[in-house]
Amino acid sequence: MRAFGNRPFVLSLASLVLFFLYAPLLVIVVFSFNDSSYTGLPFNGFTLHWYADLLSNRQIMGSIWNSVYVAVGVVILSVVFGLPAAIALDRYEFPGKGIFRRIVMLPIVLPGIITGVALLSFYLTLNLKLSLHTIMLGQGTALMCITITEVFARLQQMGKSQTEAAVNLGANDWEVFRHVTLPGVRSSLFGAMLISFSISFDEIAVTFLLTGRENTLPMTLWSLLRREVTPEVNAAATLIIAVSVVLIVIGMYASRGKGAAGSEGR
Amino acid sequence: MLLWLLPPVAWFSVFILVPYAMLFWYSLGHTEDMRFVPGLSLANFARVFTDEPYLGVILKSARIGLMTAILSAIVAWPLAFVIAFHTRSASVKFALYLLVIVPWWASYLVKAYAWKTILGTNGILNATLQGLGFTDEPVRLFLYNEFSVVLTLTYIFTPFAVLSIYAQLERIPTSLVEAAKNLGAGGWEIFWRIVLPISVPGIIAGGIITFSLAFGDFVAPVLVGGSDSVMISNIVINLLGVAFDWPMAAAIGLVIITLGLGLISLTGWLEEKTKVRL
Repeated sequence: MRAFGNRPFVLSLASLVLFFLYAPLLVIVVFSFNDSSYTGLPFNGFTLHWYADLLSNRQIMGSIWNSVYVAVGVVILSVVFGLPAAIALDRYEFPGKGIFRRIVMLPIVLPGIITGVALLSFYLTLNLKLSLHTIMLGQGTALMCITITEVFARLQQMGKSQTEAAVNLGANDWEVFRHVTLPGVRSSLFGAMLISFSISFDEIAVTFLLTGRENTLPMTLWSLLRREVTPEVNAAATLIIAVSVVLIVIGMYASRGKGAAGSEGR
Repeated sequence: MLLWLLPPVAWFSVFILVPYAMLFWYSLGHTEDMRFVPGLSLANFARVFTDEPYLGVILKSARIGLMTAILSAIVAWPLAFVIAFHTRSASVKFALYLLVIVPWWASYLVKAYAWKTILGTNGILNATLQGLGFTDEPVRLFLYNEFSVVLTLTYIFTPFAVLSIYAQLERIPTSLVEAAKNLGAGGWEIFWRIVLPISVPGIIAGGIITFSLAFGDFVAPVLVGGSDSVMISNIVINLLGVAFDWPMAAAIGLVIITLGLGLISLTGWLEEKTKVRL
């Protein structure tokens, strides 16, 4: 028997922690349906009024599309550059491999604003105008390590025997990739794509300094939040939570079976 | 090999190494009339350590980061323990794991904002207290101070601490616990002498990341912090957006990057040192 300790006691402690994790999110969800113009008790009754407001708010709706646009770009970048990186890390020994791995992880370990400052100096030197694309490049760089670590973990788990067998049977590089590697990593790649999308959708630290005239959803919310808390923001926040929860749960199920997927956030 | 390696290496060179190099280039210059003047001076780095408020704010951010790391480890431990030791089936374990993952990956901004709605002057806590007649005026004690910043950051980083402590606890073989039980050890004894010490590398691994991310946070100080809880990232943003002092912002950025790299190496070393062979 693995369990030890006073079971009711540890279970209630753990429940308290879960309550701590979920109560604030729940508060926002509940008050997004509250028929009252300020966030607080008493609960005046159920309304979808704030969601209707949200839908007719062109600034917020516009920024939702901007966020989707950026997130799709980030996912594409992550796959195009992250997948080869994971394959290279899995298959080959090359000089500077250790350093490469550290550099990949750097943007997620360092405060996002630092990545932002560095990229901003880069753009400034190149005279690049800040736009949704500069955000995309920044987020793509910062979030690529998710795809790399997820796919790399799966490749390590798969082992080399299948690839070797394919090569022995005369498959070329492309055929190995197409018929062995890609099918093997498909589910974890899919999971990483969903997680990247969802993080990009509400990323703010890297985005902050790289934003030009067009705002992503979190940046729009940020400017609204600095002024005052309105129930409309609650509705937007609830939508963000819902989108992330759905994408993350699907993503986790997709990459299930390869162990601690979440710890790769480091 | 090159086919796989070249594109990502090119990407990370262009978007990480080159920008860091430019950061360094900017940090050596200065500004005149809001224009960048190149130079080769280390004066900006000296200013980070001598001019107010830079060093003070860095130290304060470090203090907030440290408190966040410690608190989130304490809050996280029981939940990690239950997932690793008290789940009876794999699907319950996965479900609990998901319950931790969801708030970790869920919106950062929304999480900080949630505490503003709870703690604020018009927030739920105050509205409830006033509604119940405990107080006539909103209690300002909850919000706009260092406490609310640490609480919010602890909330944000607790899921991550759970995940890294759990990863470590999961490695403990059942036989070890059974052996201790057979030799007559009680629950507390197993906790103190076996499970807690083995979990230390997980606590450190999670703690360093938590520290680093909390240290660099700028959302919580603005949303739930007061006028005196400005953190180092807020300073950097102000230097760029308000003062247009690029070189100074670059110098601070480089100091933080250096500290961050030092911290990562220190963690690796500490984790190795505290690791128990299982």
